[in-house]
Amino acid sequence: MTFEMGEETREVQGTWDISTYKYLIDGAGMKLLVDSMKEKKIRGIKCPQCETVYVPGPTFCRKCYIDIDEVVEIGETGVVMSYAVEMADVRGNPLEEFRLTAMIKLDGADTWIIGTISGMDWHDARIGMRVKAFWVDEPVGSLADIDRFEAI
Amino acid sequence: MRNVGIIGVGYTPVFVSKRKDVNIPEMISEAVDAAFRNTKLTPDDIDAITFGNMQTFEGVNMPHLWAADHMRALDKPYMRIATGGTTGMSTLHSAYYHVASGLHDVVMAITWEKQSEGDSQVGLSGIVMPEAMVMVQHGMDLFGGKGMGAMGGGSTGAAAYQAMSYLHHSGADPEHIDKMAALERSNAALNPYAHLRKKTTVADIQATPFVSWPLRFGHTCPTSDGATVAIVASEEMVEKLADSVAWINGVGCATSDPATVNFIEGQITDPAEQEPARMASSKAYAMAGIKDPSKEIDMAEMYNGFAHQSLMWLEKLGLCKEGEAHKMLDAGALNIDGELPTNASGGVFSTNAIGASAMNRPTECALQIMRKIEGGHQIPKKIKNAVSHGWGGMFQYVTVTVLGDEPRHGQG
Repeated sequence: MTFEMGEETREVQGTWDISTYKYLIDGAGMKLLVDSMKEKKIRGIKCPQCETVYVPGPTFCRKCYIDIDEVVEIGETGVVMSYAVEMADVRGNPLEEFRLTAMIKLDGADTWIIGTISGMDWHDARIGMRVKAFWVDEPVGSLADIDRFEAI
Repeated sequence: MRNVGIIGVGYTPVFVSKRKDVNIPEMISEAVDAAFRNTKLTPDDIDAITFGNMQTFEGVNMPHLWAADHMRALDKPYMRIATGGTTGMSTLHSAYYHVASGLHDVVMAITWEKQSEGDSQVGLSGIVMPEAMVMVQHGMDLFGGKGMGAMGGGSTGAAAYQAMSYLHHSGADPEHIDKMAALERSNAALNPYAHLRKKTTVADIQATPFVSWPLRFGHTCPTSDGATVAIVASEEMVEKLADSVAWINGVGCATSDPATVNFIEGQITDPAEQEPARMASSKAYAMAGIKDPSKEIDMAEMYNGFAHQSLMWLEKLGLCKEGEAHKMLDAGALNIDGELPTNASGGVFSTNAIGASAMNRPTECALQIMRKIEGGHQIPKKIKNAVSHGWGGMFQYVTVTVLGDEPRHGQG
């Protein structure tokens, strides 16, 4: 089969205005988490049946399908489960400073959060490495209250 | 359930970055026409139609309905499927269910994407928008790389976590990803329906920059324009209508919780664990009467937006033991003339018209079984059983189709 490109059709620019959608933002355990971060604490929700600890916590256990509401405190240290080194931005432009980010399982939690690791050469990063969260001086109840993670 | 076979496949004449000479329905109808041409059927032979592509990628809704005439779908049962990256195979599965159930005899499955008309990053962003809104409103600088919750550089970033976890648990080196990438791009060079068709060496791949360690630009798939159509039929109609057939002997699909960017409710699954792949493939193998896939499967077509995934899926689909896929690559077993030819087509990694990507896996298997491959990538050995795989969602949805040269059944 041979194929020859035909003449080009004409095209015009069009956009979708998505500014009128509404997104609810305090669902599940998000409010519990950011409120606890104001006290430099990390809190999640534990399933009484399978004892899985979620951070942030959903309102039900995804393994047992039962409603859960037992609040538990989580450590600010944890272990790197996987990591990546960002070398280009989302549009593919090279970054001047590489960023080491990791999926981290905090001690006492069964879920993984993503955090930025500072203060080390990315070549030295390892899965299984232990890290600790460092807080901003004056937390306001925001995900940005954790400034960074560092290897310990 | 009845035996069902793929009796014909139609592709657009090319899969390329930009088809500027045709609009969306014109492009899809090229593949529809090709399927009719290849099977010598006419629209009157078709009982029902399934149709699949990604939502919002081209900035259009309900294309199946406004393009109904171009799809030769007038006056017929007609259903759109959209399951993300797996859309193509879900659309085929839907056609299979239509026929296996006994409700219809001949069904056409149409899949496509025309990515040049839209913005895939925006399409993907729509999936995570509620999540992203929560994170932003609660103080997260999404791409600024501070503190908790950074996203890690778009879809490649999330895949990088998966790739790193895969490397760690399998014992493979980053160089194995380069090697798999070079193999698949070189296979694609032989395939007239592939997009990136250039014989590629490991050194060529290693000359491309890193996007997010351990993934390079040369490990990522293109965005393509193209369409793929498959016609499936009941055993009775196969005998009446077809000169060749590849039987759909097993199907499976499964999901876990989101294995990436699931911040709101706490992510609990390793993106490289991929338990749904085990569940979906076990179901499909059991249906197809396959007891040991590592011995009985003759070829594999894996869904791989990123080059490490071909190796990872071979392990998750039971085609080798954990940690063995990269050793099979080193031994040449994954080559077109090897023991387990893998992505002889070049994979999604070389051609990615997303809605069609998970369809091109089983259609490649079907054409390999029928020995109707155009170009130079026909697998030399006889294919009795082939496995094809689709992947997508939030890194957690998997479809599997097992095809064969004869109808085969187990307990599934």
